Amino acid sequence: MKAWNRYWFGDVALARPYLVLRFVLAALAFDVWLNMIPNGAKYGAGGFNVAHFPVYGDFVPGAAFYLGVLAFTGVLALSQALYRPHRIALAFVAVGYTVGWSCSLLDSVPYHYLLSLYLGCFVFFPMLSARAAFSRSNHAPRGSAWAYVSVCVTTAIVYFYMAAWGAASGKAYWLPMVCSGAYFVASMQDRSESQAVRVAMPLLGIAPIALHVTEPMAGWFSFYMIVIAICVFAPTQALHAAGRTLTFPVRLGPESTESGGVDERAARIFYASLIGLVVAPAITVFVDLPGVKTGCALTAIAMLLVMGRQLYLTPKTRPLWRVASLFGASVALFATMNLSTARFDFYREAAIDAETRGDADAAVILRDKVERYRR
Amino acid sequence: MSSVHTEPPPPPPNPDIRRRSGLFIAGFVALQFIIPLTYLVREDRADDRFTWRVTAASEAPTCETTAEILTSEDVEVAVSPESTVHRDWIELLRRDRRVVVEAFLEKQCEVEGVLEATLVNTCDDAQGVRHYQLRCGGERAHLRLSNATGEVSARTAER
Repeated sequence: MKAWNRYWFGDVALARPYLVLRFVLAALAFDVWLNMIPNGAKYGAGGFNVAHFPVYGDFVPGAAFYLGVLAFTGVLALSQALYRPHRIALAFVAVGYTVGWSCSLLDSVPYHYLLSLYLGCFVFFPMLSARAAFSRSNHAPRGSAWAYVSVCVTTAIVYFYMAAWGAASGKAYWLPMVCSGAYFVASMQDRSESQAVRVAMPLLGIAPIALHVTEPMAGWFSFYMIVIAICVFAPTQALHAAGRTLTFPVRLGPESTESGGVDERAARIFYASLIGLVVAPAITVFVDLPGVKTGCALTAIAMLLVMGRQLYLTPKTRPLWRVASLFGASVALFATMNLSTARFDFYREAAIDAETRGDADAAVILRDKVERYRR
Repeated sequence: MSSVHTEPPPPPPNPDIRRRSGLFIAGFVALQFIIPLTYLVREDRADDRFTWRVTAASEAPTCETTAEILTSEDVEVAVSPESTVHRDWIELLRRDRRVVVEAFLEKQCEVEGVLEATLVNTCDDAQGVRHYQLRCGGERAHLRLSNATGEVSARTAER
């Protein structure tokens, strides 16, 4: 029992869960917008659907539903990456993302399931601020983070099965097997006093990077796994220094006052936050994709739940920062749609599908959109 | 440069939280080991979801997919899958994803007066031709698999 507790609840460098969480959330937002939104036109076409799980029954998700879920997930995920994450918001992101891929077999990308597992673990991560993880220059704070260990073990299991199925079909399996072993022991490096372990662990991290560089994998899978490997295996001090650099502007910001109680300032923050919650999703009105407006309006409601009593009971500026992060994420969605071909690809796919199925009226409208967003 | 603003790291979990978290961890990890193993007992060998057998898009055999329905007037009518469902579903039909094939045939049966729906995958792999047949209104879907030399197997599955 002691070994079990030491393995799961022993200390890890807090820079690791902090950076893994923020990176995956930020990458997921752009992955969803750039790689999943263009596929939205397939949803609901011909009124046909088969979901991953029987719980969906005869439900046929349309393009508006699918895009709404993706917009909601992406905006909320990025807002959590930009400012201190909250468990409720992370639970919404996990549910939104899982509904996004699982509502139809049209999305059978293997790593989407893995990201759902990661997001489920994130809900139980320590909710660290940049100051808690990186405020001291000469000391990398450590703490218990069993959910981070679960992410490492989840990754180890993925590599274990990649090796096992590879071995069963006569393919080379040693590299994924090394990756699996490395992830099983990765979380122990920060609590070991042995110099040899601290030197060996970053070397083990080369295995997953080599695997993903040499073998083509679906979508952004390799990108996720390489950056996660860097966060998990990098030497503590190097990771701490990198984290300090990345969070430099955040840590220099004004500190929240700790005094509580309703006062005039709290009232101003309350109204400013409410106005912000209305304005932030309104930016996405100009995205011109079905369902996105609704999805982004739901992010404001989710954020309202996240802020809860902070919004009116304390004079802290935290609600304003949360609204600012939502605003930033909405602007990022708008910019991504304008700077990428995701929206064009969506309408082109929708037009082709309408033409194939003989829906001439819809095809004309969609072709007009295709021309408008051609780059 | 050291920031003057510091926050303490989170406190270590107390024994009660450790016990509850430990139960969650045990279940979570056990499930992750068990789910990929379910592939070994899956009836549909084309269904490799959640198993980590493939991490990239695999190459499908080149197939021609055709469908037809048998009406109550005993007339066989060809159905164009391309004009019925999105082409990505046809890709899954070609890969013999059983659940998609059965849903496609059930959809054909929704049309009034249809007695039977059939889907045929003519592929360039070892299995050759696959016939999937569904008697509409029945309790069970009847699947018939055959290759170029004749019938190979037949199966009746729960709908």
